[in-house]
Amino acid sequence: MKAFAPNQSNETFVLNLGPQHPATHGVLRIKLVMDGEYIVEAEPVLGYIHRMHEKMGENRTWAQFLPNTGRMDYLHALAYNHCYVSVVERANGIEVAERAEYIRVITSELNRISSHLLWFGAFVLDLGGFSPLLYAFDDREHILDLLETVTGSRLTYCYFRFGGVCNDIDENFVAGARAFITRMRERMPMYHALVTKNIILMKRLQEIGPVSAEMCRKYGATGPVARGSGINFDVRKHEPFSIYSQLDFDVPVYPQGDSMARYMVRMDEIEQSLRIIEQGLEKLPDGPVIAPKIPKTLKPAKGDYYHAVETARGSFGIRAVSDGTNTPYRLKLRTPSYSNLILFGEACRGMLLPDALALLGSLDLVIPEIDR
Amino acid sequence: MGTQDIQPPVVHFAQLDKLLALCRANSLWPMTFGLACCAIEMMATGASRFDLARFGAEVFRPSPRQSDVMIVTGTISKKMAPAIETLYDQMPEPKWVIAMGNCAISGGPFVFEGQYSIVEGAHNLFPVDVIIPGCPPRPEALIEGILALEEKMTGHRRWPRVEAG
Amino acid sequence: MILSTIRNALAAIHPEKIFETDYARKGFSLDVTVSADRIEEAVAVVDQNGFFIETITGVDWLGEKAAQQKEAAAKVAEKADAGAEDAATGKDEPLAPGAGNQVEPLVDDMEVIYDFNHYSDFCRVVIRVRIPRNAPKLKTISKIYPAALWHERETHDFFGIKFTGHPYLVPLLLPEDADFHPLLKDFNK
Repeated sequence: MKAFAPNQSNETFVLNLGPQHPATHGVLRIKLVMDGEYIVEAEPVLGYIHRMHEKMGENRTWAQFLPNTGRMDYLHALAYNHCYVSVVERANGIEVAERAEYIRVITSELNRISSHLLWFGAFVLDLGGFSPLLYAFDDREHILDLLETVTGSRLTYCYFRFGGVCNDIDENFVAGARAFITRMRERMPMYHALVTKNIILMKRLQEIGPVSAEMCRKYGATGPVARGSGINFDVRKHEPFSIYSQLDFDVPVYPQGDSMARYMVRMDEIEQSLRIIEQGLEKLPDGPVIAPKIPKTLKPAKGDYYHAVETARGSFGIRAVSDGTNTPYRLKLRTPSYSNLILFGEACRGMLLPDALALLGSLDLVIPEIDR
Repeated sequence: MGTQDIQPPVVHFAQLDKLLALCRANSLWPMTFGLACCAIEMMATGASRFDLARFGAEVFRPSPRQSDVMIVTGTISKKMAPAIETLYDQMPEPKWVIAMGNCAISGGPFVFEGQYSIVEGAHNLFPVDVIIPGCPPRPEALIEGILALEEKMTGHRRWPRVEAG
Repeated sequence: MILSTIRNALAAIHPEKIFETDYARKGFSLDVTVSADRIEEAVAVVDQNGFFIETITGVDWLGEKAAQQKEAAAKVAEKADAGAEDAATGKDEPLAPGAGNQVEPLVDDMEVIYDFNHYSDFCRVVIRVRIPRNAPKLKTISKIYPAALWHERETHDFFGIKFTGHPYLVPLLLPEDADFHPLLKDFNK
């Protein structure tokens, strides 16, 4: 690894990365203290897209907050929907219709694949390769077509409701999803042959940006960042929610801790999500898609409740403090990119600037969920 | 800052102006200015299915000094507003602004009583030429917005308007 | 079982309250309340047992004490009515201390909630601390968990809680020159 110990007598200069930058995936500003091309210190500056989600949580009723959940991490919006409806269902003791549980898992995993595909395209674009973006977006458009027929939107979904989902899926969706699974399974070898085994990508990612397991623990990193450092932690297996305990899938874990490991974790997760969708479609039961008799105004009992889901970026958790009225007293959103970004300051010391950008891309950040 | 008074040219070349307007309209270079969710739809518009390259506008320039049009995609926060104004000033004339998405038009779903953090619309910072409503607007809507901007520049529309129904 | 290990370890530092909760109902397994001067000890115990920090939440309980007092006064009034009926039969209920006699202004609390989780074992630990709202100060835990450097900055942004010992307590999500704390219940802008 090309690290070096900065000599304090050398002259350093301050370089500003962002907030408008093609490689920061949103409005992130990083103040870099540089010694030539090497980074001495990095301080991320946030707040450029602070959209007051937690304040809105206190000003909206439990149901009115649903659209906000799709706009925090718009790439895997259904998982954020899922976490919010789950925490409210937990607080009110609402049981979800069984068909709806399967629909939630199927659509959420499709969304996960579309998020990973976008990450893949944008990451390789940061490293300098433009074509994989076009291939990835083509596949992603197939998923968006499928999800648009049931949810009505392409990006910021607000599809789940308390007790189920708002629309049922039909045979066209099931057939389309099965066709997509076949298509994606044929495309994955192409991605691996074209991109993963590409010598330039391997040189850019192997041994770049090492993150140790202890560092992950101290910073609270979860998701592919932790799994790329050898930590076997996936909320779907650790604290199974919805029907994940009845489905058979693996959790890819790579011990190396470098950017290549995080890349491989996400590529393998796409295949695992395809497995989950296949099983979900097979086991899909009939029935209603929303629980009967959900009260119009929800007033959960006093106290605080927590629920976590596994999103494409890590463990997303909501702590809902209720005071017995129809608006939340406090809604705390624990977003995975926030915890993943904190370790950037320590991890990028002594790295070359392009390598630091490779590390930043491999963390898969979505800045609006960091700033909330 | 923001609006500058450009003196009108002393000599007018009618046909040359038309030619220049046509050239500018057919090769609009947008600035990569994705703030939030709408940026993903902007990326999708530039990608394989919707293909902004057909209209000459796929060359997203990271530097404002090389771009013609700033597509403001996403919510403008008060912390980000000085940066956006600086970027607008750095763009050379002639320049245009497209406000894409509800947040750039009027603050979007994040306007509530007691809000403390966002600027309610890009028009508060600099003049906006085209607005594209939606949350987020579809890529076809962004293409329609680019076509509307071209119409504003040249006076003609590239393709006839499709009547609904 | 990590739950019993961590429960015993935390009980050893004498928290104010410690009890297990129903995970299916609440979403976490162990609920611990400590006093503000014990927070570093409690977090050190959690760290030694291999937990990672999920998040730090602040809650502003403005108006809680007034509401509690009202409830208590209502209960006393009920008892007084019942006592007036019982006086004829000889029963006499003592009045609650201080009822109807409040002179000092009530100082509400702010609560800071620390969430911890474990990578390999199933256990979520929640540590709560209550601090007075008019002088919110708490020791930082950033020496134990560096993630707290940001979590505490954010809590300071939203609530104005000063984390003593924090090396860089400047606004994180709000503009650098922000002098307001938006998630306070009496924030009007």
